[in-house]
Amino acid sequence: MIMEDQERTEKYNEDALRYSEYFKGKIQTISKVPVRSLDDFSIWYTPGVAAVSKKIASDPDLSFELTGRWNSIAILTDGTRVLGLGNIGPEAAMPVMEGKALIFNYLGGVNAIPVPIRVKSREEFVSVAKALEPSFGGINLEDIESPKCFFLLETLQKEMNIPVWHDDQLGTASITLAGVINALRVVGKKIDQVKVVFNGAGAANIAAAFLFKAAGFKMKNMILVDSKGILQPEREDIDSLMINNPWKYQLAIETNGERIKGDLSNAVEGADLLISAAKSGPDTIDSKVVKKMNKDAVVFVLANPIPEMWPEEAKENGARIVATGRSDFSNQINNSLVFPGVFRGVLDARAKGVNFDVMVAASYEIANFVEEPSEEKIVPTMEEWELYPRLASAVASKTVELGLARKNDSKEGFYRRAREIIEGNRNIYSKLMDLGLIKRMPNGEHKY
Amino acid sequence: MVNTNIRRMKKEDLPEVMDQLLRLKRLNSEFDCSFTVSEESKPDIEKYLTKILNDDAHVLLVAEYSSRVVGILMADILFRIYYTPKYEARIREFYVMPEYRRKGIGKMLIEALRSTLKERDIILITAEFPSLNLIAQDFYRKLGYREIVSIYGQTSTNGPCP
Repeated sequence: MIMEDQERTEKYNEDALRYSEYFKGKIQTISKVPVRSLDDFSIWYTPGVAAVSKKIASDPDLSFELTGRWNSIAILTDGTRVLGLGNIGPEAAMPVMEGKALIFNYLGGVNAIPVPIRVKSREEFVSVAKALEPSFGGINLEDIESPKCFFLLETLQKEMNIPVWHDDQLGTASITLAGVINALRVVGKKIDQVKVVFNGAGAANIAAAFLFKAAGFKMKNMILVDSKGILQPEREDIDSLMINNPWKYQLAIETNGERIKGDLSNAVEGADLLISAAKSGPDTIDSKVVKKMNKDAVVFVLANPIPEMWPEEAKENGARIVATGRSDFSNQINNSLVFPGVFRGVLDARAKGVNFDVMVAASYEIANFVEEPSEEKIVPTMEEWELYPRLASAVASKTVELGLARKNDSKEGFYRRAREIIEGNRNIYSKLMDLGLIKRMPNGEHKY
Repeated sequence: MVNTNIRRMKKEDLPEVMDQLLRLKRLNSEFDCSFTVSEESKPDIEKYLTKILNDDAHVLLVAEYSSRVVGILMADILFRIYYTPKYEARIREFYVMPEYRRKGIGKMLIEALRSTLKERDIILITAEFPSLNLIAQDFYRKLGYREIVSIYGQTSTNGPCP
């Protein structure tokens, strides 16, 4: 299995390089108004456009009505933690951001503009992000090192009037919660009673711990474990965390009610859920630890490309439900199920922000989308197109309920709008492909 | 925090005090390489602490909660020949165990120091900590302290810093 996997990865790598050279980028701007003759430029540009500008000058919020701002977001990164590659810089981050923009557009009908920036400090990052606000309806932060990403998300959410999302934290946390909601339905356990162990204390799991709290899990019943062992207030690095990573520090104080010390094998004693977002496997975690967990254990091993332990090993040791980050096993925990619909929703509601309550609603919508959750199916798959508009309408309605929305509509109304935008966008795309206006793969190569 | 008792440091407290001192110093070592902790000096530190326990030139306090030392404050009394007031108490070591923070114990320790000093007519209190310790900075600012001295440093090429 490992060999096969490696071969496939090599094939993807090779193709990605070749096709990138052939297509020279994955996105472009394409105009969306008719140009019947060059006279139309007098409408779309000067002199006509001046009237539109004057109108917006009198009320800047009209930029959402009279320009494409309502549907535009920036994918903002400093390139400090790109995929598993580390700090490779903004130029090298671009291929990833372009890919993200493609998914935003294809699944959510969102105009996402990649904006990798060169900044020297987090304060400079904040000022660049804030300076971009007039052009966009939302900001998606991407691939930023921890703990800087927590500072940026917290600061920008506070100081900006458009939704700011950090997908590596919030996207992953939301889909994890969605999977956990259904897993608990399958095994018949209650959110406020289960014991949860998070293995790995990076962006995704720290955000997940706070999101789980917002969803009703008890902080005292959560334990975080990282490379230095169980997180607890007497750990040697605790003061350093207070200064450098106050979010993790807060979790050290608030979680682990029994103040257990030690490593993962101590932490999982009697745990109902193990959520691991650690180093790529295999064997990052000894699958024997699952034996120490409670009956009907639920194990999420989310490391990519190889999970911390193989699903079959987890099951052999007593796990009833296993989820991974991969599409070739059942239960793929994939944030592409989240961000297109979430942004469709906040954009359609013209939300001023997004918060944990909105995310909990999003997770429930994703969970509820799976009509009959089972051990092998706790989350939707990416091909279930209905998910995106449904998620968008749930998110939009929640922002209305919380007073974050600047546009009001019924859940049904938001759903129709989201569906129309996403389908319309996909129709344009497939038409362009059918007509060969989007170039075919060179040499008519096969689909995967 | 209720049930927290602030009292003078005793010899029996030393193991817990040492632990907290070392935690504090290890944190300092992250701020500047000139604060690299000298782990082998533990016996000397204990000897030094035992010596100054009942020395007038120092005020050593602990915060006690259910018979456990959860915080420490150590101040040195300095004579100021050029200035008035003539005496100053400088807080050099100050630590509260993480679990017991944000409950007002730090403030109680400072308050206890102030009343101890009052008996000796010492009215000036200063605090010393690494410039990059923003939490200490924030703590003292909130209590109304202002920055009055800066210390700059450099190590010669043979020093502990690379």
